Amino acid sequence: MTKKANPHLTALAAISMITVSATMAMAADTIKIGVLHSLSGTMAISETTLKDTVELLIDQQNAKGGLLGKQLEAVVVDPASDWPLFAEKARELLTVSKVDVIFGSWTSVSRKSALPVLEELNGLMFYPVQYEGEESSKNVFYTGAAPNQQAIPATDYFLEELGVEKFALLGTDYVYPRTTNKILEQYLKDKGIDASDIFVNYTPFGHSDWSKIVADVVALGADGKKVGVISTINGDANIGFYKELAAAGISADDIPVIAFSVGEEELSGLDTSNLVGHLAAWNYFQSAESPANAKFIKTWKARMGDKRVTNDPMEAHYIGFNMWVNAVTAAGTTDVDKVRTAMYGQKFPNLTGGTAEMLTNHHLSKPVLIGEIQADGQFDIISQTEPVNGDAWTDFLAESKVLKSDWKDLKCGMYNTETKSCVQIKSNY
Amino acid sequence: MKTAFKNSFIYKNPSVLIFLSALAILTIGMTILSEGFGVGLVSTSFIKILGKTLCFCLIAIAMDLVWGYCGILSLGHFAFFGLGGYMVGMWLMFARTKDIVINSMVNAPLPPTPNEIRDAVGSQIFGVVGGSEIPMIWMFADSLLIQLLLVILVPGLLAFVFGYLAFRSRVTGVYLSILTQAMTLALSLYLFQNDSGLRGNNGLSGLQNIPGLTEVSQDIISVWFLWASAIALGLGYIIANWLISGKFGSVVRAIRDDETRVRYLGYTVEIYKLLVFVITAIIAAIAGALYYPQAGIINPAEIAPIASIYLAVWVAIGGRGRIYGAVIGAASVTLISSWFTGGQIPNISLGFYTIKWIDWWLVILGFGFVAITLYAPSGLGGLFDRLVRKQVNEESK
Amino acid sequence: MIRTFLFLVVYFVSVLSVSAQQNDLQSILNQNSKAVERASRKTLQPVLKSLIDSKLKEVPIFLEKWRAKKVWIRKSDKQFFYINNKNSTPIKLIDISSGEIVGLEPKNKLKQLKPNSGVRSIIASTLVQFQLIDIDKNRRLAALKAIERDANSSHLNALRATINKEPLPSIKARMLRLERLLTIRFDENPTKRIKAINGFAGDTNVDVRAALNPILQTKIAVSTILPEDKNIAKILKVGDSISTQVAYDILVKNKLAPAQISIQERDKSLIANIKNSEIAGIKTSTLDNEQSRIIAYQTLVKIGAVPDFVTNEQRAKSLKEFVFFNQYIETNKTVTTAAKKTLDTINARVKVFSFIDLGLDGLSLASIYFLAAIGLAITFGVMGVINMAHGEFIMIGAYTGYVVQQFVPNYTASIIIALPLAFIVAFAAGVALERLVIRHLMHRPLETLLATFGISIALQQLAKNIFGTQARPLTSPDWLGGSWVINDIISISYIRVAIFFLALAFLFLLLFILKRTRLGLEVRAVTQNPRMASSMGINPDKINMLTFGLGSGIAGIAGVAIGLFAQVTSELGSGYIVQSFMTVVVGGVGNIWGTLAGASMIGGLQKIIEWFNPSNTLAAQTYMIIFIIIFIQFKPKGIVALKGRAAGD
Repeated sequence: MTKKANPHLTALAAISMITVSATMAMAADTIKIGVLHSLSGTMAISETTLKDTVELLIDQQNAKGGLLGKQLEAVVVDPASDWPLFAEKARELLTVSKVDVIFGSWTSVSRKSALPVLEELNGLMFYPVQYEGEESSKNVFYTGAAPNQQAIPATDYFLEELGVEKFALLGTDYVYPRTTNKILEQYLKDKGIDASDIFVNYTPFGHSDWSKIVADVVALGADGKKVGVISTINGDANIGFYKELAAAGISADDIPVIAFSVGEEELSGLDTSNLVGHLAAWNYFQSAESPANAKFIKTWKARMGDKRVTNDPMEAHYIGFNMWVNAVTAAGTTDVDKVRTAMYGQKFPNLTGGTAEMLTNHHLSKPVLIGEIQADGQFDIISQTEPVNGDAWTDFLAESKVLKSDWKDLKCGMYNTETKSCVQIKSNY
Repeated sequence: MKTAFKNSFIYKNPSVLIFLSALAILTIGMTILSEGFGVGLVSTSFIKILGKTLCFCLIAIAMDLVWGYCGILSLGHFAFFGLGGYMVGMWLMFARTKDIVINSMVNAPLPPTPNEIRDAVGSQIFGVVGGSEIPMIWMFADSLLIQLLLVILVPGLLAFVFGYLAFRSRVTGVYLSILTQAMTLALSLYLFQNDSGLRGNNGLSGLQNIPGLTEVSQDIISVWFLWASAIALGLGYIIANWLISGKFGSVVRAIRDDETRVRYLGYTVEIYKLLVFVITAIIAAIAGALYYPQAGIINPAEIAPIASIYLAVWVAIGGRGRIYGAVIGAASVTLISSWFTGGQIPNISLGFYTIKWIDWWLVILGFGFVAITLYAPSGLGGLFDRLVRKQVNEESK
Repeated sequence: MIRTFLFLVVYFVSVLSVSAQQNDLQSILNQNSKAVERASRKTLQPVLKSLIDSKLKEVPIFLEKWRAKKVWIRKSDKQFFYINNKNSTPIKLIDISSGEIVGLEPKNKLKQLKPNSGVRSIIASTLVQFQLIDIDKNRRLAALKAIERDANSSHLNALRATINKEPLPSIKARMLRLERLLTIRFDENPTKRIKAINGFAGDTNVDVRAALNPILQTKIAVSTILPEDKNIAKILKVGDSISTQVAYDILVKNKLAPAQISIQERDKSLIANIKNSEIAGIKTSTLDNEQSRIIAYQTLVKIGAVPDFVTNEQRAKSLKEFVFFNQYIETNKTVTTAAKKTLDTINARVKVFSFIDLGLDGLSLASIYFLAAIGLAITFGVMGVINMAHGEFIMIGAYTGYVVQQFVPNYTASIIIALPLAFIVAFAAGVALERLVIRHLMHRPLETLLATFGISIALQQLAKNIFGTQARPLTSPDWLGGSWVINDIISISYIRVAIFFLALAFLFLLLFILKRTRLGLEVRAVTQNPRMASSMGINPDKINMLTFGLGSGIAGIAGVAIGLFAQVTSELGSGYIVQSFMTVVVGGVGNIWGTLAGASMIGGLQKIIEWFNPSNTLAAQTYMIIFIIIFIQFKPKGIVALKGRAAGD
């Protein structure tokens, strides 16, 4: 069927260099969904999976008959891990392709790059990754974890369940680890941990030479306190880190490591037999036992291959996408403001057996799960909390404590509860 | 009168007039077609892409001057481009945040003190990256004029110090390339640190929102910047042509062809090289200062070594040693890139495999570089030259 | 033998008797059902106590099974069972007392108990009393491990009671050492403690320091005169060993001095006293600077509405009345003195050792850089060609290793196959690149840079298209898995040792090829004067091709090595390319010794800078590069510069 003269090639030739907006308005019979995930460059490793997830969800929805009687259509662009391109592509999606919603971004900086454009053009984006908080934009729904849905419960677990007295906060040098560690440092000090018992280290993206840092962590044990590592190391740098940990023979019983950015996807890049017992905190693990999860994993593997795994940001897109579908159905339109209002209070069963709810601060309520790494690269869930409401502004930093986000009643994402005024309607980027 | 014209710079360089007219037609045409001022046939996002491309063309001119004419293959000119962006970005961020802060403090029981405003601005700008204090290097950020001066001064000074050291030690050829690469790498690594004072990996963002002009739509601002970029490019083009057409240009080209001989002739080679290096650094910085308000965000990844290598590639593809070649190279590669990554080209299904342009674009680009270096060593500009010459020959026949 | 017999007898007796007993294991657990099911470090002790107090013989087994996550609970009646195979359907339930299969249930009717590692370590520490006297030596070792991890005072007596019964000398030695460590921590008798402390002089192990350091813990205390009866570590001088602010804050905290008014508190008081947009007669609109706010506050002070500021003079005066000192929490002075003395000897050695460890780290990094750069040095040095795609050859090597592991599951065999195969694949790729591209650009070195850069981005994207964007596993065999541990401070992973030797092997191999073989002679001839060489009957085209292939092949091998300790992604190579260039340039082009020198300098320097600033690796890299830039200003031809004719121009 593809043998005859390729129609795509002729179409290709026909498209002029200048992307005239008029040409893009023709297909009005579909609802367009923008996918703004890097497919090349350093972040492709994580983000490609999310693009595939959105495509899967769209196909599933189309199989169910689409939305509002129309078919859904994905518009995939490649911002190539180049942060300014996120702004450019977001604008293109909103004004040229005229998408109704965007699913996208992974790093905070890419979100901050797209934010001004989304706010200017009143777009709508679902952001699926755990992040550092301190933000609530009218035009973004944060379906990943805020610090109080991941970092704080994980630290509590270290303090209470493992009796850790000395903390090594290791992170990649960028905003998520920096802000998270700042919150954690304050939190630990509030909990009575001395400043000298908190060791902080930042490494570049893709760092591979871990021997000295691992040795430094081991040396922390010299004053007889139990040491624990809280890792916000990003992406593939984790592989070198865990390999070095395993080589140094550090057992999870001696120095437990809890990671916020290591999921099934990252572990598929290494042999986990020496890492058994180390921890990760997420809102979802593939090993969660629920019928919805089993079904999701099955369709995912059927589509992508048997070796592929599912992870937390995928669940975030799963929840976000379905909530958006329900909100559009409820609003009867894809108009951003109406959908946004319909989103508040949307409930959808999450994949871990509970129900996620969209709050008026644009964050979800989700349970916090802590899992131990197993030899097969999966996590054994050893702790699961009740759903925790995502908090845009952390309660553990003095300057954020007074801030509150409520887009329903206060209509403000940065409301100062002390002066009872809205600091700014747009978000700070 | 007539001879005066014949001796004039424009007469000797007919290409300048052609180029300026083409640039003017493009800019005016786009303005007429734009959403902000015209009939709305061309989207704002394309106007922005075009404006940014013009800035790339400007830095490509700088690159062509330093490499194509002076023979210094600098793999670090994006450092200057980025610094220019950072300098203007500091003002954009500071002033915008200050407006927000002052607005939010209007209803406070006590009128804010300068210290309070500064603290609030600090925690707004640096709160995002886990800090709160305004570092020393932001001391002039409140003043647009000083920051604009710094756009020229900071990169100029860096280029001067670096160039002085390198040329004095007579580092040449490939060594110099590696050294310039090391410079941009060191700068980007430094800026990647969260404690660098320029917000680390996050960089400066929201730069498209011009302080005081929050009510003006981006549709209009984008056209303004298109004009500013076009004017800068036009001026850059004139300056570059003027530089290379005189005696200065001859000496510079002679240095490229045989440095030792020029030195024997009594010229202080180092001064010429240093001048070219610093001038091009400043041109690059101005291009950057115009680019980043259109891009909206600047961060250290922008000045990673690969960016400067791309710059060399643009010039090579366009054809070095030709100012318009640089422009053609930069414009064609960036525009085609943005077209291919835009997701608007349909995939080609082969039945057993679907060719996704997003996946294959870089492969095509990469092999394209190779093909051009192998088969068209003088680049697209060379092909263009041949075309023109052919016509001229035919006419003369 | 007798012990085994006794154990078995006791075991069977207990098995027979449990069902009749009222106070059997199941019912004890049921009484504590919640604490067992949701076990936490905080709530565990009472449960364990009642289990131990029951003196039931199956308790140790239950604890072991519990720790191994093999205890399940039936949701319907909250009965506990052991389950050995959780993947069978239905699952076989094993009675916790009899050890026999007592039923079958589908998985969804059951719930697995998953004690977290905090709970597991407490269980392990409780098990110590049973395991120390166990006949199985692995159980005894497990007990010692549990004590090492999480000791409590009860372990000391348990340990002392069993040391002399221990048959194996190696375990006995370990027990003796542990007993001394526990003596330091838990014994009441100072003489015994001091003896134990003195015995550890110069022992750099972490556990010794972990036992000694807590003894020397201090807290800051304040008093009007220096107390005689306290164990004082150091007297703190205000403004010198303790900052004025910190000292005053301590006074305020102990209510020995009036609190200072912070700016926030001042403004709060001001706001609280606003009446009709005036504060004590001053208009609020004028309070837009620090000076006027201070004046307004002082006006409030005058009318007695708020407390006065604490001036610097007042602060200094209050501080003068007190003495600040560091006080040991440990009250016995002789113990702290002994601990300090021993720790000083230890710390002196720790410093030396950590410097040696740093040297090893530097050496390891240097050998990685060397391996990554040496191929580049050959092509760059011999042909004057800058190969930007060099990093991608490294990547090709790493992916070759990954592909081999897909077909050869044995890690040792796969590495043995992967190394030469990576060489061959990268060699072939290099030769292809040379023949197709570089040959045609021979006299345009800067353009080869661009062409090979094109190759580089194309290859990277091709790798992404083929292997996907996810990192791929490349696992080292078990014998390369661990670390070479000299002591608790000096250790290095075997994989890094292997890379070091690999680098060394290549150094000598290349030296041999270049200095002792016909090929090497021809290569050197072509390097120095291609035209002359070709008139002597050497075919420079062939030499160039082989050199380029050789350089690329080594990059392939480097790729396997790097992939073993880091991540295999399509960007693996690009992370090393700039460093490799710098290694070559700093070392001096066209010389293997130069590359070695360059790699050693860069690797070593980077570690030294990291040592000065351990919290920021990025800064270390930045300063290193700045150093290189400056270095090249003074030695533009590198550390080992070619001289004479070989230097070319």
